[in-house]
Amino acid sequence: MNGHPTREEDFDLFALGALEGDEKRAIETHLATCSACAQKLAEARGRIALLAFAAPAAAPSPNVKARLMSQVRGDKQRDPRASAVPHGPEKTGGFFGRWWAAVLVPVGVALLIAAVVLWTENRRLDEQLAALHADMQQQQQQLQEAREVADLINARDTIIVPLAAQPGMPKGTAHVMYNAKTGMLMYEGLLEPNPADKTYQLWLVPAQGNPISAGVFNAAATVTDHFLMKLPPGIAPKAFAVTMEPAGGRPQPTGPKVLVGAAS
Amino acid sequence: MSLETELRASDAALMERMVQRDEAALEALYDRYAGLLSSVLNRILRDTQAAEEILQDIFYQLWRTAAQFDPSRGSLPGWLMVIARNRAISRLRQHNPAAGEELLENTVSLPFNLEGVIAQRELLGRVKGAIETLPKEQRAAVELAYFEGLTHSEIAERTGDPLGTVKTRLRTALETLKRAMHP
Repeated sequence: MNGHPTREEDFDLFALGALEGDEKRAIETHLATCSACAQKLAEARGRIALLAFAAPAAAPSPNVKARLMSQVRGDKQRDPRASAVPHGPEKTGGFFGRWWAAVLVPVGVALLIAAVVLWTENRRLDEQLAALHADMQQQQQQLQEAREVADLINARDTIIVPLAAQPGMPKGTAHVMYNAKTGMLMYEGLLEPNPADKTYQLWLVPAQGNPISAGVFNAAATVTDHFLMKLPPGIAPKAFAVTMEPAGGRPQPTGPKVLVGAAS
Repeated sequence: MSLETELRASDAALMERMVQRDEAALEALYDRYAGLLSSVLNRILRDTQAAEEILQDIFYQLWRTAAQFDPSRGSLPGWLMVIARNRAISRLRQHNPAAGEELLENTVSLPFNLEGVIAQRELLGRVKGAIETLPKEQRAAVELAYFEGLTHSEIAERTGDPLGTVKTRLRTALETLKRAMHP
């Protein structure tokens, strides 16, 4: 094949691995010299890769992650660059290196040093204990959050609402995952940064009654905003919206709608 | 680094931290994509142990070759899904793993951001919905090609259908899926 593949699906079939013989060779030969078609193949690979989502969900055993991290740590220990600590020239001799000089050190000085060492050690242990306690609390909080996310994702009655940008407003997209029964809500989105004196605020618009604030956030360029929120359970949503509000947020929406999505 | 921070970090930022040998970044990427890869590996291999070996290998390779990753050249989850499928099919057919799996090759362009769990779940619904709309024979052809790595003639041999029919089915199915999954 000297020319480009005649049909777009040829790239998908190639990425899928369904082509064979002359059909396959012709595309391979052409791709070697055509950057435009190489880009089309990259897009086709992306489309075909999405078929992975058709597989039934199967979570890996926690042992896989443990083995992976152990393998990585083993590598780091073996890697001299990771564990290399700059050494100064090795000392030989010197005042304290000579036995006869050490004998001359007054006993009082030795005791003083010992006391300082013990005090320092005690303080270090106290600090370690406090750090371990803080770590433990943080891990418990993370575990709790991970459980809440898993419960929200797995619940059959959880809904996902895409939020679309409104004309003339900052560009962006977002999704809200919400379970009315538990009141758990997760927001995930990418929005243009807000001005310093403003903030974005997410609202649940109920079928009846006033909007309910579901979180205030500041957007940073290229970083996905993500947060969990626990709302009062049992509120059926009509829609979700993100508005631009004065810094700190407001009890009720006052600013323009930036993103909106109907919950139906 | 809090869970919230890790969930917010982009793939590119996590890959940069992996280059600096930050294990937490690898853990975050593993948490983000291991479930998806595990699903496809298990569906292809139907062997949990083999699937888990490949899963570990893929993330270990990612750790070792993180410096080669150029986010402007392709999507990380796209690459991961391609590599997972290639390796599983190679194992299934007892071939050596396909060559050219380095991060610089096999550029995969994905028109979706899969960095968030909601985005992944939404896409999952969209792909499953699109596949369910396909006629039974078309769907079977796509599954034989994707999950078993069969070519046109191998599908024809397996199903007993004429080669031309298989080609038409697969091409039509891919056209439909492309339209349905377009962002």
